[in-house]
Parts: sequence; structure tokens; C-alpha cells
Amino acid sequence: MTVNWVGLWTIIRREMSRLMRVPIQAFVAPWISALLFIFIFGYVVGGRISTIGGHRYLEFVLPGVVMLNVVNAAFLQSTSQVYFSRFLRYVEETLVSPLSYAEMIAGVLVPVIIRSVVTAVGILIIAALFGASSVQGIGEFIFWVVGVSAVFGLLGNIIGLWAKNFEQLTILNVFFITPLSFVGGVFNTIQMLPPWLRWMAWANPFFYFINGLRHSMIGFTEAPEALGIGVTLILAVLMFGLVLRLYSTGFGLRE
Amino acid sequence: MTPALSIRHLRKVYKSGTVAVDDLSLEIAPGDFFGFLGPNGAGKSTTIHCVTGIATITSGTVEIFGIDAVKNYREARRHIGLSPQEFNIDTFANCIQILDWMGGYFGMSKADRKARADMLIQKFDLVPHAKKQFRELSGGLKRRVVLARALIHDPDLLILDEPTAGVDVELRRDLWRYLQELNAEGKTILLTSHYLEEVERLCRNIAVVAKGRIVQNGPKAEYLTEPGGLETAYLRATGATPEHIAAGAGR
Repeated sequence: MTVNWVGLWTIIRREMSRLMRVPIQAFVAPWISALLFIFIFGYVVGGRISTIGGHRYLEFVLPGVVMLNVVNAAFLQSTSQVYFSRFLRYVEETLVSPLSYAEMIAGVLVPVIIRSVVTAVGILIIAALFGASSVQGIGEFIFWVVGVSAVFGLLGNIIGLWAKNFEQLTILNVFFITPLSFVGGVFNTIQMLPPWLRWMAWANPFFYFINGLRHSMIGFTEAPEALGIGVTLILAVLMFGLVLRLYSTGFGLRE
Repeated sequence: MTPALSIRHLRKVYKSGTVAVDDLSLEIAPGDFFGFLGPNGAGKSTTIHCVTGIATITSGTVEIFGIDAVKNYREARRHIGLSPQEFNIDTFANCIQILDWMGGYFGMSKADRKARADMLIQKFDLVPHAKKQFRELSGGLKRRVVLARALIHDPDLLILDEPTAGVDVELRRDLWRYLQELNAEGKTILLTSHYLEEVERLCRNIAVVAKGRIVQNGPKAEYLTEPGGLETAYLRATGATPEHIAAGAGR
């Protein structure tokens, strides 16, 4: 079966057009949020904290701030793309077209990755103003931004298919993503946690995402790189399989 | 000759348990102008949704020009253009974007999309409105955009689900003329409508559906032999009360 490249590109064009209708919400808001994090936690508070692993606190916190925003950008992009297309019913345009399910899923993921990468690069530029932007392993950095975007883009796709109203779109973010990301090592190392809480970090996928990105940026790591990469790839493959299954059964899409 | 549309023993049961379509079989010959009538909730739109992929099929088969619409759905859908009853459009997009995107989904090149969209915008008198957002258009203009969208990839089978609902008389007549032109060019058209005079004027064959089943199917002439014409035949087929039938016949 040949790929409908024009069809796939059209979904991406349509979504980028939709995204550019709300540039403040999509890009400026996370940049301002990141700027505040960097200023308060990195610059104001960080000035009173000793170095961690030989790195200034601002340098230590920055990868976590980038990852928080990458996760949010990816999740919000895919949930809104999928849910709005259902809510306004224009998903039916793609359902009646000669597009495969894989093309439809890719049409969600590519804008997710674009939005996440633009968000991440913008934060790096802001951080550079505070003298804190460094990326030691560019390939590794790209892997973490793209890989984690894909995982949360797929997760957002599932929520976008499942949600019956706007409130349900935010449930996972409020009760799962935000709490786990904050305790996943954005502001602290695992060693700083009480011993009885450390196991929770190892069971928290956000810890591997933040740790991996931190390693790519400043070389600091608390977990084997291969473990983090493995967790991310396994999650991405499992999520893709689940999303493909949902599309092929018509869950949330077809009557 | 391979039918343009062949539906065999189609059944659609919603999750709620509602049987919307029950053992419905239908064939439409290539080049036909086919009327698909029935009261609200009879299963017309559900049947169309099953044919076009908007709804899943519980059981039965659908073939478009001999191509299985489930097993080989991508190929089957290339042949269909759908104008749905309810607007299913990104309401913030403008007319040009709507046509361009739909052509893109069907794999049309940029040049082909542009040429075809320009022609359709001209044909449906949408030139002054081409750059307006869909939500800014009047009901009649929205109908025209949806029709233009259905035609962007030059489909062989055009499915029109109440295309003239809420449309003024002038546009309705323009639309009739255009549909007749398309049919004369060889396009197969499946039309659902609550305007019986529209169906009588345009269609050569008519099927009536009630409670998810075909209750009458045949050439238009068969319906017109009835005293009171198509309306009485339709009311009788759908199980209307004798009072309603008498009122229709006496009109």
C-alpha cells in the first residue's frame, strides 16, 4: 500500500494553520512560564543554592523546565487537535478520504513534534539570556525532545479520542502529568529525596525523561542512559500500537 | 455492469442497542440519479455514513464500483464525494482552505487542487466569499461550500444528504441544474431529501426506507402511477396514517 504523502502533508498543513491562529497560547505562554521558572528558581533562589554535581542550580533546573514544557506542548497539541476535529466533526473529512490510520496518526504526531521542538528551542534561547543554555549532545537532546513528544502526543491522542467534554481533556494533566513531572526530578536529584521516597522516582517515567534530557544538556545523570531510552521507546511503541488499534476500531471517531 | 453502489444485507446497531439499519440491500447503476427517501430517523443518513466510512458496519457488505468499502476502503473512497446533512467543517477555515485541504486528503497535486477549486468557486458563485471564514457565511453559502468540497476530487459517485435543506429557491434551482449537468456527464448521484418535488424532478429511481429497511424500490414511474403521485406512494410505503395519506392524495 503506497503512502498518501499529499494527504499526510495536508493534515500537517491544516494543523499548522490552526496552530498559528493561537500563537500566544501555543508558544508565548510556555516561553513566559519558562522565563518565570528560570528567573525565580534558577536565578533568584538558585543564587543561594550550592552547585549540584558541579553545575549551577540554574543549569541543573533548566532541562527539567524544558521537559515540563515539552510534555505540556505535546499533550495539549494532540488532545486539542484530535478533540476539536471530533467536536467540530471535521474529522469526518479525513474519515471519508483515502487516508490510512497510520497517516492520520502521523498527521497528529508531526505537528506535536514541531510545537514541542519550537517550544524547547525558544526556552533555550531565553535561558541563554541568563547564561545557562548548553547542549552537550545534540543528537541525544533531539532524541529526548522528539521521543518524549511522541509519547505524550500519542497519549494525548488517546485522551482526545476518549474525552466527551472539555473538562475530560484536562483530567490526565491535572492528576497525572503535572504531579509526576514535578516529582520526577525537575528541581532536585533523587539523592535529595528521603530514602523511603526514592523508589517512587525510579517508578516514575518522568524521572527518566528529565534525567535523559539533563544528561544531553549538562552531562549530569542519575540513571543508566540505556534504561531511560528503553523506557521511552517501549512506551512509544506500546502507545502507537494502542492508538493504531483505537483508530482501526473507530473508537471515538466513527459512529 | 458493475453497480456504482451495491449494499447487501447492511445492518447497523449503535452501542445503545438502537438498530438504525436492518438488512438493507440496494443497488445503484452507474450514471443513475437515485432518490433515497424516508422519514426522519428511518436510517438514510446512517446508511450513507456506513457507505462513506463515517460509521462502522455491524454486518453486511458495501461495494463502490465493485470495490469493497471496508476491506479496500482507501480505493473505494476515491470514488465517493459526500455532502453531509450536518456541517462537518473547521468553521474557522475559509472556503479556499476547505477545498484545498479536501483535495489534499485525496492526494491531488497543488496545481490540480487550485484549478479545481477555482472552477468550483466560480461555479457556485463563491468568488466574493472565497476568503471568508466558513462561520461567517449564510446557511445557503455554507451549503454551496459543502457541495463544492464534495466535488473537489471529481468523484464518480456523489452522495448528497439533504443538500438543499435551508437553501433558498433560487439556489435550489441553480443546484438542480448543476446536478443534472453532472448526471448528464455520467456521474452517479444518490440524493436524500425531504422535498419530494425535488426527488420527483431529478431522480430516475427511488427507494423508500422506513425503520431501517427498504420498503419500496423502483423506477420513479412506479410511484407516479399512484393517485396523489409520489407523495401518496411515499406516505403509504412509510406506513403513514390513512388520514395523512388521504390529505396527501387530495392535495
